[in-house]
Amino acid sequence: MITIPAITIPEGLAIAAPLPDILPPVRPARGLLGFVRRRPTIAIGGALLLAILLTALLAPYLWTVDPTALAPARRTREPSTAFWFGTDMLGRDLYSRVLYGTRVSLTVGFSVAIFASLAGLAVGLVSGFVRWADGIVMRFMDGLMSIPPILLAIALMALTKGSVGNVIVAIGIAEFPRVARLVRSVVLSLREQPYVDAAVAAGTRSPMIILRHILPNTLAPMTVQATYICASAMITEAILSFIGAGTPPTIPSWGNIMAEGRALWQVKPYIVAFPAIFLSLTVLSVNLMGDGLRDALDPRLAKQL
Amino acid sequence: MLAYILRRIAATVPVMAIVAFFVFSLLYIAPGDPAVVIAGDQATPADIERIRENLGLDRPFLVQFGEWLWRLLHADLGKSIFTNLPVTAMIGQRIGPTLSLMVVTLCLAVSVAVPMGVVTAWQAGTWIDRVFMGFAVFGFSVPVFVVAYLLAFVFALELDWLPVQGYTPMSEGLWPWLSNLILPAIALGCVYTALIARITRASMLEVLQQDYIKTARAKGMGSGGILFVHALKNAAVPVVTVIGIGMALLIGGAVVTESVFVIPGLGRLTIDAILRRDYPVIQGVVLLFSFVYVLVNLMIDLLYTALDPRIRY
Repeated sequence: MITIPAITIPEGLAIAAPLPDILPPVRPARGLLGFVRRRPTIAIGGALLLAILLTALLAPYLWTVDPTALAPARRTREPSTAFWFGTDMLGRDLYSRVLYGTRVSLTVGFSVAIFASLAGLAVGLVSGFVRWADGIVMRFMDGLMSIPPILLAIALMALTKGSVGNVIVAIGIAEFPRVARLVRSVVLSLREQPYVDAAVAAGTRSPMIILRHILPNTLAPMTVQATYICASAMITEAILSFIGAGTPPTIPSWGNIMAEGRALWQVKPYIVAFPAIFLSLTVLSVNLMGDGLRDALDPRLAKQL
Repeated sequence: MLAYILRRIAATVPVMAIVAFFVFSLLYIAPGDPAVVIAGDQATPADIERIRENLGLDRPFLVQFGEWLWRLLHADLGKSIFTNLPVTAMIGQRIGPTLSLMVVTLCLAVSVAVPMGVVTAWQAGTWIDRVFMGFAVFGFSVPVFVVAYLLAFVFALELDWLPVQGYTPMSEGLWPWLSNLILPAIALGCVYTALIARITRASMLEVLQQDYIKTARAKGMGSGGILFVHALKNAAVPVVTVIGIGMALLIGGAVVTESVFVIPGLGRLTIDAILRRDYPVIQGVVLLFSFVYVLVNLMIDLLYTALDPRIRY
């Protein structure tokens, strides 16, 4: 016990209570619960995304019927126990259509993220490393970025046949300059680092420097960027399908379902509502993952936003 | 200063040239024969030939690009395949509603987002901050047509406060014009507002740590004065930048918003053009919007010196 020496305490001065002799040990939260507490956004977003991913994979087993089966006899039924989300104007079961639509959205989102990352990485590395190419390449990227992404995708889709593959390429072309710009900026700052100079001085060839010293450092910011691209690609796909320039109408996608429900939305709002809710939740889950990854992987960026 | 402005304006010319080149060469980048794709499934060989001629696909690439660029410099965007009208005339008919929608959205978004960013930065870490920034994450995640349908359903169908759809020109009165644009503007502005608010908050957080803010506080200045006079002025450059960059979101979202609220603007024109595969019209709209986007960002670049006199060239 610490004894307070007998000094006269002036009026109005409070003495803090003595600290306990031993501070309680800091116990880092472990296991799943600890992770949830430390990274709530990744945990919530990840759980939601996992649920959506499982929905997409298990769509045929989740009490769905053929999403393209027409049944004119039971058109535009309200949601009920027989048709959980109701039926559309061709009598197709909306629950099945929305669940199968998950596949299109996730396929497009993930494929665009991968495609844009790889293309952006290649262009960014070349631009950051090859000085004479930098000016030309980046001017082209600036030009490409000056075209609003959705419009660029619309223009590309107007010239090709509607298919999921073409949607992926069109959105990917619209998105990849942003990755290229990011990778280039990382490369430019990395190549000034002493360890890169050391590698150059030691006679390491450029491809090896890129592979060993540059590439690993671009991965963290690129992963974060890819997550956001995935989210925005899913929205763009839905928009393209909604305005008739995306996934062909024979494939059930959220944008297509909403486009078909558009004419009836004032009387049958549920046709638009269910795909809209699914789309919003999916995009939200990916965005939460992105925010969480950004905080975890890129503290510098996290402080900025 | 003048030299800088001229240099900056000159620098946008190559960017615009590259944009024009891209938009033009899309016809060639696209896999397959664009004339066949545009003509559609029921086309006769004569149709395809006519389209090929209209698009100039029967001549060498560079010759075409030169001619096309020459016409572009004379504000000639070619003729629609479907209506045979000049594309510039078709755009001219439809530009009013789109411009109105954009301006209303811009005013609305900026007047909501900037105070929101300022307040959340001031109250950083409190529940106010969390609520507003949570809203910003939702703003990013909910696609524009979802917000559009939700707003139309609640405020037009259920509550009957505002018209469900349609457009009235401003010449028929300010309120009829505005009442038709409020819901579309909120829907369209959602993502944009979230983006501006986030950047404003981040920029303000940095400025609020500066010494002159402490000085202002020490001399007894009120919070409102500090935030909106000293801090916001110094935090303005990133905010203005993102207002310009975010225009791309507005342009893309306008196409969808106009479709949901049945506004006869450029978005509607684009969608009709897609359904009819009227490529010259799509090309014209894309080119116009891209040029507007480049010019807006050029103006913002020039604004920097006015906002922050420390930026000298």
